[in-house]
Amino acid sequence: MELGTTVLLAVIQIAVVMGVVLLSVAYMTYAERKVLSFMQDRLGPMEVGPWGLLQPIADGLKLFMKEDIIPSGANKIIFAVAPIICLIPALIGFAVVPYSEGFSLLGGTGGTITDLNVGLLYIFAFASVGAYGVILGGWASNSKYALLGGLRSGAQVISYELVIGLSIVGVLLLSESLSLRAITEHQDGGFWHWNLWVQPVAFVTYVIAAVAETNRLPFDMPEAESELVAGFFTEYSGMRFAFFFLAEYANMILVSCLASVLFLGGYEAPAEFLNFVPGFVWLALKTWALLFFFIWIRGTFPRVRFDQLMKFGWKVLIPVALVNILVTAVGVYIVNN
Amino acid sequence: MGLIRSIFMTELLMGMKLVFKQMFKPYCTLQYPHVRHDIPDGYRGLMSLLRYEDGSERCVGCSLCEAACPSNCIKVVSDEVPGQPLVRYAREYYLDITRCVFCGFCTEACPVDALAMTKVYEASVFDRRDLMFDKRKLYELGEQHLADGKAYLIAHNMDDGTLFPKEGLGDNRYSFPPVDLGEGERPVTVGLTREALEMELSKQ
Ligand code: SF4
Ligand code: SF4
Repeated sequence: MELGTTVLLAVIQIAVVMGVVLLSVAYMTYAERKVLSFMQDRLGPMEVGPWGLLQPIADGLKLFMKEDIIPSGANKIIFAVAPIICLIPALIGFAVVPYSEGFSLLGGTGGTITDLNVGLLYIFAFASVGAYGVILGGWASNSKYALLGGLRSGAQVISYELVIGLSIVGVLLLSESLSLRAITEHQDGGFWHWNLWVQPVAFVTYVIAAVAETNRLPFDMPEAESELVAGFFTEYSGMRFAFFFLAEYANMILVSCLASVLFLGGYEAPAEFLNFVPGFVWLALKTWALLFFFIWIRGTFPRVRFDQLMKFGWKVLIPVALVNILVTAVGVYIVNN
Repeated sequence: MGLIRSIFMTELLMGMKLVFKQMFKPYCTLQYPHVRHDIPDGYRGLMSLLRYEDGSERCVGCSLCEAACPSNCIKVVSDEVPGQPLVRYAREYYLDITRCVFCGFCTEACPVDALAMTKVYEASVFDRRDLMFDKRKLYELGEQHLADGKAYLIAHNMDDGTLFPKEGLGDNRYSFPPVDLGEGERPVTVGLTREALEMELSKQ
C-alpha cells in the first residue's frame, strides 16, 4: 500500500473515531444527568430541545464563551498545559481499540486506527501520563483545594492502576497477546466464549479499579465536591475546565471500551445468528451498558473515605488480583499440557 | 455467612437493585416555569391595597398597619380627603418589600380590610427601587389580584360580611361562641383592679 493511502485511511478513521468519541462524551454527560435524575425521581434537563436533548451543545457553547481565568500566583505555563496533558492520553487510547472486524477500505484494512501488537501496554502507558495532568493542574493552581485534590489523585491513580494492570494479566494469559484485536478474536463465537466467564474475579476487580481510576463516585476523592470544592480543577474555568471534563468522560468511555474488549468480547456478537449486526454496534452496546453501570453506582453509593479507599485498594483488590493471576496461570499451564 | 456476604457484596447489590427500581417510578418534581403549584388561599405573597366596589380607596390612613409592622417597612402619610372634612385617606403610602418579612400583621391590623396579600411570589426585579412599592403600585396590584386578595382575607378569617356584600361572603367568617361568665360574676370594668372595684362598690 502506498504511503498516501495509508495516511488517508488513518486520517479518515481518526476523524470518524474521534467524532464518535466526542459525541459520546457529550451525550454521556446528558445520559448521566438524565439517568441520575430518574434514579432520584426527577426529570433532569428538559429545557434545551425536546427532552433537553440539545443540552450538551448548549453546555459546550457556554463553556467556550466563558472567560479563561488564570489565578494570580499560579504557575502559568503548567496551569495552561495541564488540561491538555490530561485530555490527550484519554483520547489517544482509542487509536488501538478495534471497533469492527477488519474490512477493506481504500485498499487497506479498517477496523482499528492502528492495530499495535502492544496495544494494551500503550493504553496503560498513556493512562499513567493522564495522572500527571491532574497532579500538575492541582499543583499549578496555587490553591489548597486543588493541591489536596491533586495529591489524592496521585495516590489513588497509582494504587488503582496497579489493580487494573494485575486484573488484565489473566486475560493476557488466556489470549496470549497484547493486541486488542487478537484478544477480541480469541473470544469469537457466542457469549459463552467471553473472558467474563473464565475471569469473573478479574472482571470485578477491573471494574472497581476502573471506577477509581476515572475518579468517579464512590471513589471521586480527587474531586470530592463537598470537601474540596471541585478538587484539582477548582481554579479552572472556561475551555480549560471543559478539557478536564472531557478528559474525565473520555477516560470513562475508554475504560468501558477496554472492559468490553477484554471481558465482553468487544465487537463480537453474543451469538452466531446475530452476526449480521455490524461489529461497532455490539461494541457500542457493551460500552454503553458499562457506562450505565458507572452512572448506576454513582447514584447508589456514598463516597468512601480516603483511608478506606487506600485500604481497599492495597489490602483487598491487589491480593485478590494476584491470587487470580496465580490461579489462571496454573489453570492455563494444566490445560496447555 | 458474613464473609460470604461481603465476598459477593450482597448488601451493595441490594442497594443497587433498589436504586434501579427507583428509576421506573414517576417523577415527583414540577417543571416550574411551565407548571406551577396551586397556591393556597392563605398564601402570603406580595402586598396589595384594595378598593371598594365603587372604586374608592378603602384605606383610611389610620397608620395602624405602620404601627403593627415588625420590620418597619410601611410609611403612611395621612390626610383629609380634599373637600370632605373629617374623611381621611392615605395621601401617600409606601411599602418597602425588600424589608417585608411577609408576616401579614399589617393585614390583620387594618380595620377596613384595605390590605390583602396576593399570591404573587416571583418578586425578583432588575432594579431594587422597583421593590419600593408606592400607593399607585399597591392599588395596581390590588386590582390585578382582587380575587386572590379577597380569598386571602376570607382564608385568614378577616371578612366580617360587610366588606364584600354583593358576594355574601359573611358566612365565611368564623365567629367565637359568646362567653358565659356564670351567675354572680361580673365583667371587670376596664381600668380598675378587682380590689379597687370592690372598694368602689362598698362605698356606695
Ligand atoms: S407583612 Fe409584616 S413585614 Fe410585611 S408589611 Fe405587613 S406587617 Fe410589615
Ligand atoms: S392600610 Fe389599613 S391599617 Fe394601613 S393606614 Fe390604611 S386603613 Fe389604616
